[in-house]
Amino acid sequence: MVEESVRVVRCGGSRLNFRRALFSADSKYIFCVSGDFVKVYSSATEECVHVLHGHENVVSGILLNPNNHLQLFSCSFDGTIKLWDYLDGILIKTFIIGPKLHALFIPTRAEDSIFLTISKEEPDIFQLVSVKLPKSSSQDVEARELSFVLDYVNRSPKCIAFGHEGEYIAAVRDFYLSVYFLKKKKTCNFTLPSTKNKKNAKNRFTCVACHPKEDCIASGHMDGKIRLWRNFHDDKKYTYTCLHWHHDMVMDLAFTVTGTSLLSGGRECVLVEWREGSEKNKEFLPRLGSTIEHISVSPAGDLFCTSHSDNKITVIHRNLNASAVIQGLVKDRSISTGLMVDPRTKALVLNGKPGHLQFYSLQGDKQLYNLDIIQQEYINDDGLIQIELVKAAFGCSGTWLATVEQRQENETELELQMKLWTYSKKTQGFALNTKIAMPHDDHITALCFNNAENYEKPILVTASRDGHFKVWVLADDSDIYKKAIGWTCDFVGSYHKYQATNCCFSEDGSLLAVSFEEIVTIWDSETWELKCTFCQRAGKIRHLCFGRLTCSKYLLGTTDNGILCCWNLLSCSMQWSAKLNVSVLEPDPYSDHVAAVSQSAEGSDLFVFKPSEPRPLYIQKNVSREEVQWGVFVPRDVPGSFTSEAYQWLNRSQFYFLTKSQSLLTFSTKSPEEKLTPTSKQLLAEESLPTTPFSLILGKHRQQQDSRLNETSENELIQLPLTENIPAINELLHTPAHVLPSASFLCSLFINSLLLSKETKSTEEIPDDVDMEEKEESDSSDEEKDFTEKAQETNTTDLGEDVIHQLSKSEEKELRKFRKVDYSWLAAL
Amino acid sequence: MAAGGGGGCDPLAPAGVPCAFSPDGQAYFALASSDGHLRVWETANNRLHQEYVPSAHLSGTCTCLAWAPARLQAKESHQRKKRKSEVIGTSDQVDLLALGTAVGSILLYSTVKGELHSKLISGGHENRVNCIQWHQDNDCIYSCSDDKYIVEWSIQTCKVKCKWKGDNSSVSSLCISPDGKMLLSAGRTIKLWVLETKEVYRHFTGHSTPVSSLRFTTIRPNESQPFDGITGLYFLSGAVHDRLLNVWQVRSENKEKSAVMSFTVTDEPVYIDLTLSENKEEPVKLAVVSRDGQVHLFEHILNGHCKKPLTSNCTIQIATPGKGKKSTPKPIPILAAGFCLDKTSLLLVYGNWFQPTIERVALNSKDTHICLERDISNCWAPTVETAITKVRTPVMSSEAKVLVPGVPGHHAPIKPAPLSQPKEVENKRKLGSNEASIEERLGAMGLDRKGRKDDLLQTTSFPVLLTQGLESNDFEMLNKVLQTRNINLIKKTVLRMPLHAVIPLLQELTKRLQGHPNSAVLMVQWLKCVLTIHASYLSTLPDLVHQLGTLYQLMESRVKTFQKLSHLHGKLILLITQVTASEKTKKMPSPGQKAKLVYEEESSEEESDDEIAEKDSDDNWDEDEEEKDSEKDEGVDEDNEEDEDTDDKEENGEDRDGSSEKELNGDSDLDPENESEEE
Repeated sequence: MVEESVRVVRCGGSRLNFRRALFSADSKYIFCVSGDFVKVYSSATEECVHVLHGHENVVSGILLNPNNHLQLFSCSFDGTIKLWDYLDGILIKTFIIGPKLHALFIPTRAEDSIFLTISKEEPDIFQLVSVKLPKSSSQDVEARELSFVLDYVNRSPKCIAFGHEGEYIAAVRDFYLSVYFLKKKKTCNFTLPSTKNKKNAKNRFTCVACHPKEDCIASGHMDGKIRLWRNFHDDKKYTYTCLHWHHDMVMDLAFTVTGTSLLSGGRECVLVEWREGSEKNKEFLPRLGSTIEHISVSPAGDLFCTSHSDNKITVIHRNLNASAVIQGLVKDRSISTGLMVDPRTKALVLNGKPGHLQFYSLQGDKQLYNLDIIQQEYINDDGLIQIELVKAAFGCSGTWLATVEQRQENETELELQMKLWTYSKKTQGFALNTKIAMPHDDHITALCFNNAENYEKPILVTASRDGHFKVWVLADDSDIYKKAIGWTCDFVGSYHKYQATNCCFSEDGSLLAVSFEEIVTIWDSETWELKCTFCQRAGKIRHLCFGRLTCSKYLLGTTDNGILCCWNLLSCSMQWSAKLNVSVLEPDPYSDHVAAVSQSAEGSDLFVFKPSEPRPLYIQKNVSREEVQWGVFVPRDVPGSFTSEAYQWLNRSQFYFLTKSQSLLTFSTKSPEEKLTPTSKQLLAEESLPTTPFSLILGKHRQQQDSRLNETSENELIQLPLTENIPAINELLHTPAHVLPSASFLCSLFINSLLLSKETKSTEEIPDDVDMEEKEESDSSDEEKDFTEKAQETNTTDLGEDVIHQLSKSEEKELRKFRKVDYSWLAAL
Repeated sequence: MAAGGGGGCDPLAPAGVPCAFSPDGQAYFALASSDGHLRVWETANNRLHQEYVPSAHLSGTCTCLAWAPARLQAKESHQRKKRKSEVIGTSDQVDLLALGTAVGSILLYSTVKGELHSKLISGGHENRVNCIQWHQDNDCIYSCSDDKYIVEWSIQTCKVKCKWKGDNSSVSSLCISPDGKMLLSAGRTIKLWVLETKEVYRHFTGHSTPVSSLRFTTIRPNESQPFDGITGLYFLSGAVHDRLLNVWQVRSENKEKSAVMSFTVTDEPVYIDLTLSENKEEPVKLAVVSRDGQVHLFEHILNGHCKKPLTSNCTIQIATPGKGKKSTPKPIPILAAGFCLDKTSLLLVYGNWFQPTIERVALNSKDTHICLERDISNCWAPTVETAITKVRTPVMSSEAKVLVPGVPGHHAPIKPAPLSQPKEVENKRKLGSNEASIEERLGAMGLDRKGRKDDLLQTTSFPVLLTQGLESNDFEMLNKVLQTRNINLIKKTVLRMPLHAVIPLLQELTKRLQGHPNSAVLMVQWLKCVLTIHASYLSTLPDLVHQLGTLYQLMESRVKTFQKLSHLHGKLILLITQVTASEKTKKMPSPGQKAKLVYEEESSEEESDDEIAEKDSDDNWDEDEEEKDSEKDEGVDEDNEEDEDTDDKEENGEDRDGSSEKELNGDSDLDPENESEEE
């Protein structure tokens, strides 16, 4: 913490729903692309196990290595393909391709070739090419020889699918389905009959999937239909059947592993399972929350997962039960509530799922829960005007929550509702206290509580475009029947019929400032008398806030035309003003600092200052290239210890801000090196599980085999070396694969270490086999280590047995020579 | 950290279930219940994070558990060249959880992957594992058992590194010193071991029962002398069936070996958490959960001897609310308590171990006894779905207050009229009303007389019923009257009701208007009649604004929806009534009061007549007044009138204020139309 450098870092993660998620072979892990990273999640616990970082631009595709299911290929916009060991989170190899890669495909039967979608020079024209990945031992491999396969494909990987056995490629674009047969090198194009005459036909193709066992292609369409194509080997005899349930576009399709059912999803938030390709036989999983964007199926067939537009991945069991949800910061709709901090839990609060407030833990960097404010089933449909949660505010250290929801069908019809929730300590949850229909006649522009501690009764002020601000107080309206307290309107204020745009209370709660377009009015919160007005004729007031602590006598305001003003409330005069186009003005509730983010053409700049002096304490240029929409100070649990004046504002609280593309950014003080803890420092724990009954049976079988071997070679008295006891082997097996020298170099050493000093053996014919074996070894994980070690043991015995009889004197000599090869370098590793 | 103990067949087994907060931030709370399930809860949102059942959960129940120190993980921290922003995740990830079982095996469970990571058996314990401690720096764990041995395990290899006999009886608790070089063990006596050589460094004696918990309380000694890593440090011990927690100091060899001081609690301690004091001035804060379900908080600067046992600074209890007379408050046991990072708030875990509630409580009160009232009976029982989707539905009970436009409380009460001097307004109204009143009273008197003469014969008991109902506030009686649909009947009733009942009737109507829209339709008829017939009386009332403010707001807000339409309607009505009125006046030349009365009876357009009558009355105001002085009867203050008489002239000018009332009437006329249209 002593290190005094501050950088902008992102938190809350990036999009999880950019591409299809992917399951590992055993369904234990889910991979998804997330910005420049590939994230590995546990499908059981929803926790992030690893983050694979290494790409320099957005990762656009991931696939398991078909030759080794413990490895993962990823391609990125930076023009490289990387091969990862996902269990340890290690980068194994990088293949440099060159152009921007948009998608990655590996058909099951293709040996080394990978298919990629690249963009041609012209924008929006994409090609499918194949590339052979060279076998090389070095870490970075260039593979720039691309062979062209298909032209004019869609950029989205959903629009290309490989048929069973990798015999054909189905690609859809606009109104065409083209099937390319790899062996015949022939393309068949199919169009839908209705598209020929109608110009804006709604049956544009959206996605395609191929049956894993049969020659069958499923295609999804804009109009919600799914077509199953058969007999497409022939241009004329082809047939298709239609499945129609979706009323809006089909977003994604996937066949189950066996091909018996087809999964489809779309904007209805319903996962549909079509059994045996018939329209009658379908199952549904409804209410998934938001639009299904991608569907994927685990290779084992036991799990599905759907990626949703609100940045989540739902893991679904084969019997259509959601079993886990991997949720990032919900990024679906516009954030109109802004950023708030729940004073009780210190969680960040903002718009979440439609009609919900999401509580996001910044410490744990994960979503806590969604609070259902509107409590109506969300129907996701285009053109349906939803009730939206537009404003929210916390009051009285989290005891009160005020929310405003609105629905506007057209200009004149506005529905508004304000709800006041109280946090019940007894039940540890929010309960509705007062519901106010149409609190104002027009949009509510601001909402604030009087949070001063010395006020017993909470006060809420709402400002509205109808020219009024209303003061709501908590009143005891107990009649004889119920002893309830509820909110009632206490005062309605206005100023010359101007629209009220902002409101805020001073720190001690004695003054209320309300801005009416260009005029700021100050009201006494005891008597609701207008005390004074400030007028900045330059432009409409955009933000308004009082200073804190030592600066509580200042009122800050920003205007539409880029002026930041500071008024002194004691002298009722302007203290200073500055030309600054402020998009966010946020006071720190725990210190007297105020942060302002200004918007310029190059990006957003952050200024931190005290209202008492017009000189900023800290300037960070270009915190983000995008417009910053909201900001908030979050109190730290443990105060920071910055000594230099420039960073002192970070001691008590941390500043978070949200950009237009809804990425949440903050300032971090830790250096990147500190974050990248070397693996040696991590707690490495060996996995060692006791034998299960199943492995006992297997082991018994194997032991029998072993004993038979031993019997045959009893007279030779072979003592098998215990691999665990040989340091060279141990080190070889326990060193991460990426730091090992090439296998060919290691081979002789490795074999040597396995040899028995007394025996006479030939090493001549061994290398090839062992090389393979070793490779497999280094690729495999700890998890599989037991098994491979065991396999190796048995293997070496086999070899030994073969070899023993064939040894000649000369070979023996040679062998001795080999033994002398120094492998001390291993120790140095 | 965790208190050991499972099912309690052994009388000397520690009470409580094994449970622990995850280190560094306490994001999780792990609890191994006696049914063999390990459950991990998220503390921030009280959600079951995962549940794990070891394969041998019935034979070897979990006896103790310990979280591994947070694993630093390289997460999303790649700095991008072009874009300046970079990504961070959580810096530390807690993962491994060590579980000791009753059969002597130790399980390592990965909470990230949700599966068993490894199982430590070979060469380990032969009996129940009592305590597990992770070494903070190297990858070792230490465990002790009923088989009298202490075992040092290597996590990397999952093998025993060292095993030595710790005591002559079972070893019940362990604790590693802050510098990681010493180990405290407790059996019958407490021993301090040098980890390197496994030799006993110090002995401490004092507890008569097995020690259930050991914790170091300081990192550095208070003395300013050079620090060798251990001398001068204090540690804390709690024992089974012992209400005293002892504090010991590690001192040079020849000094006495007994406890330095002690803390007293109400029952055997089951869970202990403390904040380490980092400097001399900072007190040690100690939270002790005792078996009776209370939390005792201590705050003490450790500094040498103290003979008298210290009692707690603060006690926290939790109880259910006693609902009504039936149920008395019942205590809810607290299972565990842990200090948050900021050291000023406490995480409390309470309820039953199957569904505990985790709450963060701020410790800012100075009370020595805090009793929190919590309702866990209808605590949200998480269905699988809500647990997955993480959606919480706040309670929306029907008891919540609902404010719609027109209901009192939706708009500011009328009295402080915005920006104008309220007193003047009131005066104006009073004055205006007064004049009207006198004029009106004559008319009213006339009505009454007339009514009696004509209607007595065909009289129904409605007016009587109505007044009685209003006086006695009899709901049924009022219903009988107010639910009639016959407009003529309504009119007659209103005509014949006594004046003093007008205001109560209006208030009753207002109340009913706020109710169900269907019943409001009927009430609108009544309201219309009352306002048209008794407008003049109403305008006499001095405090009319107060009494009918809510009604006014209600009407205003209702009418607002179709403002233009209602304007048009009002104008049309005015026009039509004037036309008809003029026609009628042509027909019936006889002027004066008599003619007025005749109209009212025969036609359905009395309203129009009334309005005209009022307007007429405006003109010959002054004359009327004198006449009426004699006829004051019910309800009107004399004083007011006298006041008003004096300022007569002004009032005439202001008289048009009365017209605001009329407008109001006009609006109310429209009301029923709108309502019915909507229907």
